[in-house]
Amino acid sequence: MKAFSTLFKTELKLSLRGMDMFIFAICMPIVMIVILGIIFGSKPAFDGAEYTFLEQSFGAVATIAICAGGVMGLPLVVSDYRHKKILKRFKVTPVSPALILAVQVAIYALYSVASLILVYAVATIFFGYQMSGSWLQFLGAYFLVMLSMFSMGLLVGGVAPDIKTASVLASVLYFPMLIFSGATLPYEVMPVALQKVADILPLTQGIKLLKAASLDLPIDSVLLPVIMMIALAVTCIGVSIRFFRWE
Amino acid sequence: METTIKVNQLSKSYATVKAVDNVDISVCRGEVFGLLGANGAGKSTTIECILGTKKQDSGRVSILGMNPRNDRKKLFERVSVQFQEANYQDKITVAELCEVTKSLYKTSLDYEDLLKQFGLSDKFKSQVSELSGGQKQRLFIVLALIPDPEVVFLDELTTGLDAKARRDVWKYLSDLKAKGLTILLTSHFMDEVEALCDKINILKNGKSIFYGTVQEAVATSPYEKFEDAYLWYTDEEEKENESI
Repeated sequence: MKAFSTLFKTELKLSLRGMDMFIFAICMPIVMIVILGIIFGSKPAFDGAEYTFLEQSFGAVATIAICAGGVMGLPLVVSDYRHKKILKRFKVTPVSPALILAVQVAIYALYSVASLILVYAVATIFFGYQMSGSWLQFLGAYFLVMLSMFSMGLLVGGVAPDIKTASVLASVLYFPMLIFSGATLPYEVMPVALQKVADILPLTQGIKLLKAASLDLPIDSVLLPVIMMIALAVTCIGVSIRFFRWE
Repeated sequence: METTIKVNQLSKSYATVKAVDNVDISVCRGEVFGLLGANGAGKSTTIECILGTKKQDSGRVSILGMNPRNDRKKLFERVSVQFQEANYQDKITVAELCEVTKSLYKTSLDYEDLLKQFGLSDKFKSQVSELSGGQKQRLFIVLALIPDPEVVFLDELTTGLDAKARRDVWKYLSDLKAKGLTILLTSHFMDEVEALCDKINILKNGKSIFYGTVQEAVATSPYEKFEDAYLWYTDEEEKENESI
């Protein structure tokens, strides 16, 4: 426990010193919710909708940090620490190299939760946002999205042969999901053809779940996304355990 | 005396190349053992097999009576390792790296004292990447000593250090040895080996070509200086080939 807390403190400091996660996971979602708030304010999501555009977008914006940490931050740090033989150094200490990975997962989870709280605070204070659905369901969906995104990131970092490959794979996952899954560009304004393509992205399904939970929409539309998220997490974790490269 | 590192008939191959071929090592408590040989002679592979980070094809290894692969957690409370490569995080400071290293062990020494003894106390807040080569090397020795180990593996101990710093490191290690620390080291400096090592094993192409004390190595060679004797041992085959 002493090792975990010391490592957590140090790795968090190092991560903040690097600034990139602060920009992509903390600042970017706040900028997004402010832009959406200014443009759409309290306009309804569509003619006759019972909820506003901003309320509809809240769940989506809340995933920006998960996406940045899970499929960009995690793969890069895992492959970097393997390349620097930091994981190997842990093999000749009393603690397992898995500890430093657990610390990284905890740090990115902290970024995500901090981002959720900040986005919620900004939306509530400045744009009169109200969560009409259940917080419990929302948080359940939120952690499910986190689990599947993080497991995908660990898989990429764990099996990519070098940092370059990991960074290419991370970009291939990160940018399409950031733009086309609805996290930044609202899914509802996309043409139907693009929506069909976007539906393939796991984050699109995750955001659908979060929207359903935050807007209190009927439960039957969420079964497919739940199954997809769980299947993705189980597959990635399974493959990671089998093929993870420690050095 | 108690044997702390025991290696029997260790062998390890990569594809068709025999990296380590039937190597034996036996080190008692308080002894300094030198694993010597040119680059690529099999030193690193031997150390990795002893530490359990690589699996040997055959042979037995025990450190402090434990198997490094099965008793990893228990063993590495008492055994520490300094690596050749600089394996630390970007932007980490000297103090942070020491603090993290300390947190991994149940018992540890005061690293501020150690940094002072190795002339690094003014570098406390510096980033590790900004240290000079010699300062980094001294820091890595400090990191290996933080857990107050009974056995320490030092790979290329004083590479990159100036003459004064090397002498300081020797003096410090001799004191620790007198207190019962067992040291296994690799080095390319024969004066260092002469000054520190009780026993040496010279490797060539994975095979042990000399095992014994420095004095014995000199006595069985046609030379009077250890460095000449060492070169004579490692070059022997080439000379034979040349004469044909």
